[in-house]
Amino acid sequence: MPCGLFFSRYEKDDAIFQTTWLKVWMALLFVFLLTFPLYADQANGLLGLNLTNMMNLIFIYIVGAHGLNLLTGYTGQISLGHGAFMGVGAYTAGILANLGWPFYLALPAAGLMAAAVGMVFGLPSLRLRGLYLAIATMAAQFILDYAMRNWEGLTGGSAGLIVPSADLQGLGIDFTFDSDRSFYYLALVFAVLATLYLKNLTRTRTGRAFVAVRDRYLAAEVIGVNLFKYRIMSFGISSFMVGIAGGLWAFYITIISDEHFTMWLSVQYLAMIIVGGLGHVLGGIFGAIFFVVLPELLRLPAEALTDIYPSIFGIFASLREMVFGLIVILFLVFEPDGLAARWHTVRAYWKLWPFSY
Amino acid sequence: MKKLAWLAVLTAALGLLWAPAVLAGEIKVGGIFDITGPTSDVGKDYGEGAVAAEKYINAKGGIDGDMLKLIPNDYAYKIPEAVNLYKKYLSVDKVFVIQGWGTGDTNALRPLVNKDKVVFFSASYDGNLTDPKQTPYNFFIGTDYSTSIRAAVKFAKDSGAKKFVFIYPDHPYGKNPIPAGKEYAQAVGLEIGPDEIVELKAIDATSQLLHMKQFDPDFAWIGGTTASTAVIIKDAAKLGLRTKFVINCWGFDENLAKLAGEAAVGRAYGMVPVAPFGADVPGMKAVVESAGGKEMSLHYVKSWVSNLVMAEGLKRAKKAGKLDGPGLVAALETIKDFDTGGLTAPITYTASDHRPNTTLTIYTIGQGAKMDKVKEVTMPREAKDVGK
Repeated sequence: MPCGLFFSRYEKDDAIFQTTWLKVWMALLFVFLLTFPLYADQANGLLGLNLTNMMNLIFIYIVGAHGLNLLTGYTGQISLGHGAFMGVGAYTAGILANLGWPFYLALPAAGLMAAAVGMVFGLPSLRLRGLYLAIATMAAQFILDYAMRNWEGLTGGSAGLIVPSADLQGLGIDFTFDSDRSFYYLALVFAVLATLYLKNLTRTRTGRAFVAVRDRYLAAEVIGVNLFKYRIMSFGISSFMVGIAGGLWAFYITIISDEHFTMWLSVQYLAMIIVGGLGHVLGGIFGAIFFVVLPELLRLPAEALTDIYPSIFGIFASLREMVFGLIVILFLVFEPDGLAARWHTVRAYWKLWPFSY
Repeated sequence: MKKLAWLAVLTAALGLLWAPAVLAGEIKVGGIFDITGPTSDVGKDYGEGAVAAEKYINAKGGIDGDMLKLIPNDYAYKIPEAVNLYKKYLSVDKVFVIQGWGTGDTNALRPLVNKDKVVFFSASYDGNLTDPKQTPYNFFIGTDYSTSIRAAVKFAKDSGAKKFVFIYPDHPYGKNPIPAGKEYAQAVGLEIGPDEIVELKAIDATSQLLHMKQFDPDFAWIGGTTASTAVIIKDAAKLGLRTKFVINCWGFDENLAKLAGEAAVGRAYGMVPVAPFGADVPGMKAVVESAGGKEMSLHYVKSWVSNLVMAEGLKRAKKAGKLDGPGLVAALETIKDFDTGGLTAPITYTASDHRPNTTLTIYTIGQGAKMDKVKEVTMPREAKDVGK
């Protein structure tokens, strides 16, 4: 028996599921995810959290975070406009749904619209890099923010846009995704699709070109990578995914308003993939989990302390925000490569346990 | 690894420690308040008022023996966060009544509230929440914004105004009452100038006021909260405007005098639906006691009354044997001329009109930064204005 992983064929080296064990674990995880809503209710009561709701948000953010990770982690282009691109997706899906489009058409349309907008605002990436690109994409954030708020005929302005729940009437099936539990499966499908897509993309010529552009764009150009094409393509695919996330968000929350898709969301997406791990498929997943679960976990002590000292609950609410900020800073200090790197360390440890040396 | 194990133990411990214990005879109330967001200047007192009122009601025997349990949370004035909290209250805490906050989120939750049959008390007194045909589960205790803005316009007209301007934040709270105000202003023959937008978090309103100066109105409506109102009034004094301001109920309180100082004297008129904190009315004694020596604002009183009315509804619902959402609605709709001990005008809800009353008091800021009463105004309660 070999004392390690040794592949003799490139296909094996590049396989998504490299070992039998991994396949088993993945199957177990999949079964767990499929059955999760069945025992979520009991866990809800025990933990005082709405786990299904949290999972739905995690799935939605995973789709978006994968999108930004593709752009920032793999292609090396920073974007501070992804919050707004998510908004473009959400509003596109919402408006089309209000026009009677079924969700399975409105969602791709949302992605395409976000991709189109993202590609337009990605044009400066041809000339700008780093901080300069960050500022250019931030402009996108401000422009789109303004449009969402003030183009009232289209977006409903600051009062928001009410979106019908996703349903399957168009297929002749009387089913509506209007509960947390039913939406869970819808969101799960998209999160899995996005993850598989990202993982697969990194194995293709296109994915390698993205990484080449990130690592040394001059060298990439010299060996024949069309910088313009791949940068814009990266912006397009990335915005498409975040647009899908926005569409899912619209169908889940069923009311969208501009105040969700602000600068803060863009920064949050960046923070997600940085905390999770830039350039790792797992980065987007861990980042999304971290940013959804932590604020909820911090709510528990705040609620409990409020039980004991009700008159100063306002202070606990503010403390929550501060502790959240502190934890993010600590993570960046002690785990600068992100949670994905820590995960690899942990896994490597257990792989050889108990005979590590 | 050790760290990870610790983390797991800690998480489990947290979970067990704060697992909500369901006690017999407990009525859970969800609380959605703004403690850290753009309206936290008035939201903080409101949140504390709700907590204090819960304690008071429980000390008085609760809902005929059942204790209230308020679960207050901050949502920072973000609509999606309010939706999240709402879902949590419904699925985890299984509430059927919520004490909520802003106009944007209360309106956003309307479809959900109707679907889930949850009674929603809001701190938003938005006029379009008053039509039971549209919003059967929405209740509030203050004079609705549309009535307030009509009273404000009427007050300006009676004070001899000819030109009028609306200043408000670009937010549902600011925008929703404006059509009612404009319609009324036109009906009484005021000339309306161009609207000015001053955001809730504004720290400067000079450019808007300079623009307004060209039209030079006698009176202007401010539909913001206290912090931005103080900014507008201070800048108006600095620019030497002659315009006086009529202010919605979240923009005028005890703090306005402190924030705006001398600038507010003779310039600010507030449409106030409740008695100010510490006023000489029978109901105020318990309110002041609950604050434990702290000087609160009138928003604390609003929250107090909202909880008091909710408790009254719960009592009636319990007596009728239907302690759930629809039961509470039916109970609340039997409330007629409910006496809040002078904290507000008597409150009446009917099955066709959820406006609590149409009476408010106009206050101004006089010498010594005190709130002086100008007069009490009762607007006609017309059926055509329901839900507008």
